[in-house]
Amino acid sequence: MSAADIAVTDRPGFPPVLLDIRDLSVEYAGESAAVTAVDRVSLQVGRGEFLGIVGESGCGKSTLLFAIARLLQPPAEIVGGDVVFKGQNLIHMREKQLRHLRWRDYSVVMQSAMNALNPVMTIGGQLKDAMKAHGRVSRRDARLRGASVLQLVGIDPVHLDSFPHQLSGGMRQRAMIAMALVFTPDLIIMDEPTSALDVVAQRSLMVQIKQLQSEFGFTVIFVTHDMALVGRYSDRLAIMYAGQIVELDTTRAIFKDPKHPYTQGLLAAYPSVHGPKQELKGIPGRPPDLRFPPSGCRFHPRCPHVMNVCPQEEPDLYAPRGTDLVRCFLYDRRVMNDRHLSQPLRSEP
Amino acid sequence: MIDTSASLSDRSPDPATGEPLLEARGLTQHFRVGGLFSRKLLHAVDDVDLVIYPREIVALVGESGSGKSTVARLLAGIYKPTAGEIIYRGRSLTSMRHNLRSYRSRVQMVFQDPYSSLNPVFRASHGIFRSLKLHRQELGRRDRVREAEKIVQLVGLTPADEYLRKYPYELSGGQRQRYGFAQALACGPDLILADEPVSMLDVSIRTGVLNLMTDLCRREGVSFLYITHDIASARYVADRLLVMYAGRVVEEGPTEDVLQHPKHPYTQLLLSAVPDPHADTEEAPPVDLTEPPRVIDPGEGCRFRWRCPYRVEICDRVTPPLRTLRPHHRAACHVAQSEMPEDIQIRRQPPLASP
Repeated sequence: MSAADIAVTDRPGFPPVLLDIRDLSVEYAGESAAVTAVDRVSLQVGRGEFLGIVGESGCGKSTLLFAIARLLQPPAEIVGGDVVFKGQNLIHMREKQLRHLRWRDYSVVMQSAMNALNPVMTIGGQLKDAMKAHGRVSRRDARLRGASVLQLVGIDPVHLDSFPHQLSGGMRQRAMIAMALVFTPDLIIMDEPTSALDVVAQRSLMVQIKQLQSEFGFTVIFVTHDMALVGRYSDRLAIMYAGQIVELDTTRAIFKDPKHPYTQGLLAAYPSVHGPKQELKGIPGRPPDLRFPPSGCRFHPRCPHVMNVCPQEEPDLYAPRGTDLVRCFLYDRRVMNDRHLSQPLRSEP
Repeated sequence: MIDTSASLSDRSPDPATGEPLLEARGLTQHFRVGGLFSRKLLHAVDDVDLVIYPREIVALVGESGSGKSTVARLLAGIYKPTAGEIIYRGRSLTSMRHNLRSYRSRVQMVFQDPYSSLNPVFRASHGIFRSLKLHRQELGRRDRVREAEKIVQLVGLTPADEYLRKYPYELSGGQRQRYGFAQALACGPDLILADEPVSMLDVSIRTGVLNLMTDLCRREGVSFLYITHDIASARYVADRLLVMYAGRVVEEGPTEDVLQHPKHPYTQLLLSAVPDPHADTEEAPPVDLTEPPRVIDPGEGCRFRWRCPYRVEICDRVTPPLRTLRPHHRAACHVAQSEMPEDIQIRRQPPLASP
């Protein structure tokens, strides 16, 4: 399929679509059978939107992000689906074509700045490298632009000549963001950029990302395991579980009224510093081993609302509120009207 | 006998908890940094007083580099303190030098990373059996197995006999961390020093481990020093809270009191930064771009002054001592007063030059 075949449909009331992911699947080649880490994920991300992708370790969120950026390495492989970015299908692009888009049109901020920055090269040198990859740039221009992006993220330009080990963790992470901003791309993909920082630094980095976003209007896809962190800043949230999206809606709606039992459990697992102290339950069990995913709904072994139908059929995505998507039979009219299918499998604890 | 020294005189001992289990007075740890002839000292922990009573959970909260893990290692006897004293049930640790094994069996540690704290070539129960062999020598082989099963059940790993046979790779992160606690429990400790035990675990698993700590405290009577950067989880488990900043305790008191009436500006900053999914307020948070202080040869003065919105002249010269501002609640701040309005939001001030 060529890019021209794909008509991008804008949703009414939402910003124009910048990135359209359709039925994207990623497999890891295993010894016996392939493991599906990302299972038919479809997402549309609008221009200037801040989308949070939330999930626990091993749910496929980082694999999804790497697949979008076309950064997957074997044994991981995209086995199906399309990623349409600004009208071009990234899936069918060759490395050479992708090279023109990377940094300039979309950039990626990696999880650990400690490992992502070159330890034997100054920050300025690394910024210049990125610029040189996209055409000739004079030394003076490189310095000037480098200084201005560092200033954007609140780092003194003297650090152009600093090595990564001379910066604190928070500054390194901000330097990574500065590098992503060199060409002010349309899309910045962030993989847990704050997970190595403590709360105060985390908070100020998030505020800064948000400020930069409102200034330059780029789109952010922010992958994290910490729903509480992203909740304050994201426009929409996608909750992932065992390689699938289980809930997708505006952040406000999800926090106010989570529909999927997994999302409900996640939200209830955060202790709060305000309000009355409550006992937390957490979610029993553990995320499934994707080599042997549970039959039917993948959350059913841990779900407090499990019904007869859950281990037998795979739930689709339903829209109980209209705009949202929830992968749970509780919102399937056919199941809920059928007394046998909706029979609870075990009494609630 | 315990002597209630001057440093503790302003805290009346809680009648419910009685005599302190473990006490640290003026605990200080400096590390030499730099080259061979460098005389620079990194003040990891400076003059920390801390008391842990039987059957209580004390949380030690601070950002990375605040010295909270060093405190745990000092209390566990891993480091020898530069200065200060550790007193366990009325006896100084220095006087127990010849009998450290019994101290170590009483004060155990649980580490942050459950993936690297279990030896992959042994069964996960290896550590439990080793502790039993070393510290509970009266037990025979059969008794050890029975005891190990009991302990593994205690931390919520059932069926016990099955879990005793498993290797670490067969366990999830949460189960490994439960093994960490089981290993610590095997010696029959009074106190477990838990250094960020849940920070590597997924949110849905975390709650179970936090609940395990409260459970073990209530049912088995084990005290905990819970070290964390997450003040919300500290609130969830802890009876008392200590906040550390740059190697010093800046605030301490009953958890709820500290959270409802934070006195130290750092505690206030920390609280305002906590992401809270249950809060409806979406007020613009303060942006704080200043860096944590360097603690190499810090000199006199309050270490928070570079970030502090209330800084006055005396802060540069005199290190503030902990003062009692509310019942059982102390803070180390020159400006903080008992009647200081707590709801003052920390406003962004023009940044000061770092030293």
